[in-house]
Amino acid sequence: MVSVPIDNTTVEDPRQRPPQVLEGVDYATVTEKVCSIVERPKPPLGWYIAFAISLALLGLFGSMIVYLLFTGTGVWGVNVPVGWGFAIVNLVFWIGIGHAGTLISAILFLFRQRWRTAVNRSAEAMTIFAVACAGVFPAIHVGRAWLLHWFFPVPFQQNMWPNFRSPLLWDMIAISTYATVSLMFWYMGMVPDLATLRDRAKKKLWFYVYGVLALGWRGSNRHWMRFERAYLLLAALATPLVLSVHSVVSFDFAVSQLPGWHTTIFPPYFVAGAVFGGFAMVMVLLVPSRQFFGLKELITMRHLENMAKILLATGSLVGFAYATEFFIAWYSGNPYEGFAFINRMLGPYWWAYWIMVSCNLLAPQVFWFKKARTNIWIMWGVAILVNVGMWFERYVIIVTSLARDFLPSSWDYYMPTWVDMLTLLGSFGLFFTLFLLFVRFLPMVAMAEVKSVMPASVKAEGHHRPLGDYWGDVPEQHDEEGEWTPGRGRR
Amino acid sequence: MREGPLKREELWRSLEERIDAPAFRERLREQYPHLAAMALQPASRRGFLKLLGASLTMAGLAGCRRPEEPIVPHASRPEDREPGVPERYATAMDLGGAGLGLLVTSVDGRPIKVEGNPDHPASLGGTSAIAQAAILELYDPERSTSVVQRDGGNRQERSWADWTSFADKHFGSLRGTSGRGLAVLVEESSSHGLERLRFEFTRTFPEGRWVEYSPVSRDAARDGGRQALVENYRTQLHLEQCRVLVSLDADLLVHHPQAVVNARALAKARHPDAEVMNRTYAVESAYSLTGAMADHRLPLRPSQVAPFAASLLGALLHAADRGAAWRQLAGVVGTPAAPEGTAEIRDRMVHDILEHPEQSLIAVGVEQPAPLHALVAAVNVLLGTTGHTITYDLHADPRVPSHLEALGELADAMGAGQVDTLLVLGGNPVHDAPADLAFGERLQAVDTAVHLGLYEDETSELCGWHLPRAHFLESWCDATAFDGTQAVVQPLIAPLYDGKTAIEVLAGVLAGDLPPGGRDLVRWALGSTDDATWHQTLHDGVVPRDFQPIPSFPALTARDETGAEVGLLPGIRGRLVDAWKKLQTSLGGPADGLELQLRPDTRIYDGRFANNGWLQELPDPLTKVTWDNPVLVSPADAERLDLSTNDVVTVGSGDRSVEAVAYVMPGQAEGCVSATLGYGRRAVGEVGNGVGTDFYALRTTDAMHHQAGVTLERTGRTHDLACTQDHYPLDPIGESGMERRLGDLYRSAHLDDYHHHPDFAQHVVHHPPLDQQWKPHEYPGHRWAMTVDLSACTGCNTCAVACQAENNIAVVGREQVEKGREMAWLRIDRYFRGDPDAPSVALMPVTCHHCENAPCEQVCPVAATVHDHEGLNVMVYNRCVGTRYCSNNCPYKVRRFNFFKYMDPETDVEKMRFNPEVTVRSRGVMEKCSFCVQRINTARIAAENEGRTLKDGDVVPACAQACPSGAVVFGDLNDPESRIAKLFADPRSYAMLGEMNNRPRLQYLAKVDNPATDGEAVAHDEVHGEVEGDHGGDPGGHH
Repeated sequence: MVSVPIDNTTVEDPRQRPPQVLEGVDYATVTEKVCSIVERPKPPLGWYIAFAISLALLGLFGSMIVYLLFTGTGVWGVNVPVGWGFAIVNLVFWIGIGHAGTLISAILFLFRQRWRTAVNRSAEAMTIFAVACAGVFPAIHVGRAWLLHWFFPVPFQQNMWPNFRSPLLWDMIAISTYATVSLMFWYMGMVPDLATLRDRAKKKLWFYVYGVLALGWRGSNRHWMRFERAYLLLAALATPLVLSVHSVVSFDFAVSQLPGWHTTIFPPYFVAGAVFGGFAMVMVLLVPSRQFFGLKELITMRHLENMAKILLATGSLVGFAYATEFFIAWYSGNPYEGFAFINRMLGPYWWAYWIMVSCNLLAPQVFWFKKARTNIWIMWGVAILVNVGMWFERYVIIVTSLARDFLPSSWDYYMPTWVDMLTLLGSFGLFFTLFLLFVRFLPMVAMAEVKSVMPASVKAEGHHRPLGDYWGDVPEQHDEEGEWTPGRGRR
Repeated sequence: MREGPLKREELWRSLEERIDAPAFRERLREQYPHLAAMALQPASRRGFLKLLGASLTMAGLAGCRRPEEPIVPHASRPEDREPGVPERYATAMDLGGAGLGLLVTSVDGRPIKVEGNPDHPASLGGTSAIAQAAILELYDPERSTSVVQRDGGNRQERSWADWTSFADKHFGSLRGTSGRGLAVLVEESSSHGLERLRFEFTRTFPEGRWVEYSPVSRDAARDGGRQALVENYRTQLHLEQCRVLVSLDADLLVHHPQAVVNARALAKARHPDAEVMNRTYAVESAYSLTGAMADHRLPLRPSQVAPFAASLLGALLHAADRGAAWRQLAGVVGTPAAPEGTAEIRDRMVHDILEHPEQSLIAVGVEQPAPLHALVAAVNVLLGTTGHTITYDLHADPRVPSHLEALGELADAMGAGQVDTLLVLGGNPVHDAPADLAFGERLQAVDTAVHLGLYEDETSELCGWHLPRAHFLESWCDATAFDGTQAVVQPLIAPLYDGKTAIEVLAGVLAGDLPPGGRDLVRWALGSTDDATWHQTLHDGVVPRDFQPIPSFPALTARDETGAEVGLLPGIRGRLVDAWKKLQTSLGGPADGLELQLRPDTRIYDGRFANNGWLQELPDPLTKVTWDNPVLVSPADAERLDLSTNDVVTVGSGDRSVEAVAYVMPGQAEGCVSATLGYGRRAVGEVGNGVGTDFYALRTTDAMHHQAGVTLERTGRTHDLACTQDHYPLDPIGESGMERRLGDLYRSAHLDDYHHHPDFAQHVVHHPPLDQQWKPHEYPGHRWAMTVDLSACTGCNTCAVACQAENNIAVVGREQVEKGREMAWLRIDRYFRGDPDAPSVALMPVTCHHCENAPCEQVCPVAATVHDHEGLNVMVYNRCVGTRYCSNNCPYKVRRFNFFKYMDPETDVEKMRFNPEVTVRSRGVMEKCSFCVQRINTARIAAENEGRTLKDGDVVPACAQACPSGAVVFGDLNDPESRIAKLFADPRSYAMLGEMNNRPRLQYLAKVDNPATDGEAVAHDEVHGEVEGDHGGDPGGHH
């Protein structure tokens, strides 16, 4: 087969599968590019600025939580009838974001979608961090957070089981399972790359840290065989979770009898929405990172275009779900259900509803055009809109349904307080703090996996750095310093 | 509070005293032989220690604040007091010159709950919201706690001894001058004791002045009665017999002295299965609860009520011939024209009255002019209602002159420097006297002004002396019911803040040979000398009274020798002609501009309860506004003036003006704005200060109730009213959604439809069969359930306050209510139906439905809300972590969440009010109605101790007990003979949202109203505003 140099990976040429990485990148440059980000003695100023902002927001998050715990749930805008407000909206929002990671890692892996390799690591990291953000909210939204351990089926002095009929219990189990499996999956996939970092480590501290984390990985065939089998098993294990977590989260609403919540479409609708929102978040993060960290050759335009297509597909799915809800509300003949949806669209929360529809259904439609799919500015803008829209989707579902339920005498209007707003803002602080730490200290692209999908023709090259465009000044290689070389890298 | 062989002098204050008493030794030997032996022997070391322990215990007991005089409890008294076992004592509350008999529950010497006294004719077991809230007032830490002397701006706390020494000197010298320059200002009271002291006062100080004034009075009714009838009399209404009730701006259900029994009687008369169901017409300016009960309601501005009434009387008198006197009166009245557009409903009233002349009743509001009262009184007599719907009580109405005149004279005398000493016993004239009297200014000119009050209030601030008043629950006094029945006000607790009652202070001033102490004063006043009778009176709470109304009274007509009626008595005729002339001058077309109507508030009355959080947070039954008194504007006026709810407006009347918040009230008469009095307090306490608008500032002696030519101007500012319902105006979507479901939630029918389809309520909502997916719970023992009869409920709010008192429900404050976080376990939903200018009102008490398939139970992750074996949906507070999921999933939204630590008493006194049977909830916990599970358990324990099973009526939750109209019934469904089982089987009984298969244990009995429906009558849509499709479909279609 004739190797045709391709610069534009988005061309559909039936003669040749487009490469996952751009021409001119070989194994060594992959390693160099990815490891250089971690190995720099000091990150550039931009990282510090971003980290400082994130850390400030994290501090804000913490102080809001402390204020909440010491004062009472009343510092939020919740009331009767709207018993759940921003906290649960944020929970579902973050859980949704956490979907793309495992979807990319597990499902795309099982379907042999090899393009996932460039983005799966950071997507999985994003999952973990989003789930961490999500996990905070159910814990703090309860009136007596100090008694949360009663949720767990563990013997306490009250000698009581939790109520296994409650969707909140299922929810807690589903989320913690998901968090555990995602963490394992992410960490396990990282082991070979951690070993690479260990091998390249220049400082003793990092040698030991990465060494411990690498679990003694030496890259032997046996290691690889075990690794790949385990990875496949974990992927198979994680795949149902992608569907189950958000299905179970949707049960929090679907199992209740509130008009607007009590809907059988919720599980698939929530999953589609979660994938949608998760991919949008991956885009929001990756578009600038690939630019900033010089990873354009690894995270190519084709990756981004594929993700844009997924956004278009899931966005339309979500739009279809919106329409189905309305149809069923009408078709069921249930007056309360019918009212809930008319009210959602035209009632006092019409603005939230139309923000949701414009961001989630209308905005991704630009991706029918290839120009939009390959323009990073449009992509980034739409991805941000989708995130806004997905947040509002949860707001619409939760708040509008609660605000006007059966008895008109209880109807009320929910207004978030400044604490609500700052807590939401602060949760982004937690997320970005973790993400910035991740890009600083862990390999943000799965080097070993990327190498496995590279054309064989490029792997012969030796140890050199043919392309510029590294992230900042790459430190001298340690073997050139000749000080301390305990075991070279695998290649 | 001890009964028995002990005489007063044998009361003991220390253990030593007690041990010395031979009677004590005797009893000790009987009951505790070992103790007696020990007490008789000089102390061994062990014995001494025991005794030491005992005296410590006794010292602790002495800390329980019990009054020291022996009183006899009402109910079966235990052999000796058992700690923690509640006891009930009879007492009475005096409000607006009428007594309401109460039974107060006391736990370990702390009164904690007020109930009605079934033996008292003004209560019959029911109470009012205000009476229910008395407990909170008793323990108000902001009540005044000491005698205070003021000299200019200098405030000095004094003791009662200081006051006594001052009073002895001061009033001693006044006695020398026959009391020249002395005036006593009392508030309206029904106390016989005070009455007797008034005689003593006039004897001791012949030149002294005695003035009675209350801002809310029945002056007009009293004067009108005098004009029409020979004697002073009191009209006793017997609404249970009333088939046609015409209310001319009469408030029969809230501020009437017999409101509690009126509610019960009207509910009885309006029972759909009554032989002839009552039909009620209400003509009024602002929506009242009487109007809400009415089948036809005619909103009229105040200036048009009297013309309408005159026209009604004219039409009635000319529509039939009921004898010579009737014809004479018809000749006097003539046929005045009805105000525009009201002829039809007037004719309908005439038609109905003449159909049941003897069982009809025309009631006139106290705010209407006296001549109208006179004419209506005469017509009521001539209709033959005497002995049917009205009886007349010869018990003279207190002979005091009109409050307004008396106060005006006093103010003039003060202005002229004729008053040197003013003793204000209760009341708060600086706040509530008419503005044109400038009472405050004139008070400052009085040399020695003394104010006795519960609070150091506006009046106290301008008086040289302030004396703390004892709350009625810590007082000895007496109160006379509107029908003349006397009751003793006996203390439940020693005064918390060392207060004294009006009679004690007055007796102190009068000196002489009056009995010392409140109890003896009361005995003296009631003339009760015989101990047995006295104890019986204390026990029953009422003085037995044998009174038979005289059937021929009042005689208006002259008769010839044959006994045939020949016409009105000449004197009567003359008076009625005068009355008609006087009335005629006041009749006319609608006044120019807006009219303002001022009414007492349904919660804080004339302002005296302004510091009572329960009442401040109690939503007005019709506006649902808490912590405010908005000015009510009709939708049409609001549109004309470009006003909306929450706009701050300037209400101007003459050269006076106040700022108030507008509330657009459907059903408010066009051209009239209404507001309630008593708000805008400046010096009552942290709770009440600055809440609402002081409309007394607009009230003048010549326009106490209504004023014309009032202006309303927008200030451009807004102020959010804290409503418990409709927190914001509904959008069209919400409106239509509400209208569509209202008929399903609140089921009602006209009487005719009910007769044709008694089970109409069962055919409102249709749904597939409701299957049980799982094996349902089994209830082998009891199945508790409740019904609320929507036909009987007047919406008076009494149940809501009773629930708050019984269940230690927190007051959360204005801001929290605004956020939708009020804690009321029981609320009364209010919906308007039909035309916004003349809507009807649906009032619906809602509390936990205790669903058998409870949606809340399933979703709680920690099983903090669970089902018990008797079907109660119970809340386990200490297990609750506060996810609020249960509330989200409750279709009735009856669950309440402690968003903050709402219940955080700062003082020990506040803690005393708690019902020890009910957990005080902390922050982060959900709570809700428990069907008063503590009462169920108390009754169960009592029954078990007696070796029997619970029988129907043993368990009465607080709401059911307090309900004046008996709309709430509670009981065991497993007992087929119980009232509740029968009511559940009643065809009117329906489960709200029952189609959700949650199987609620609270069911409603559908409302049946009785509007005129026949062809010649007024189409009810016009007047009643009934909406088509109210019943959610044709009830007849399914038979």
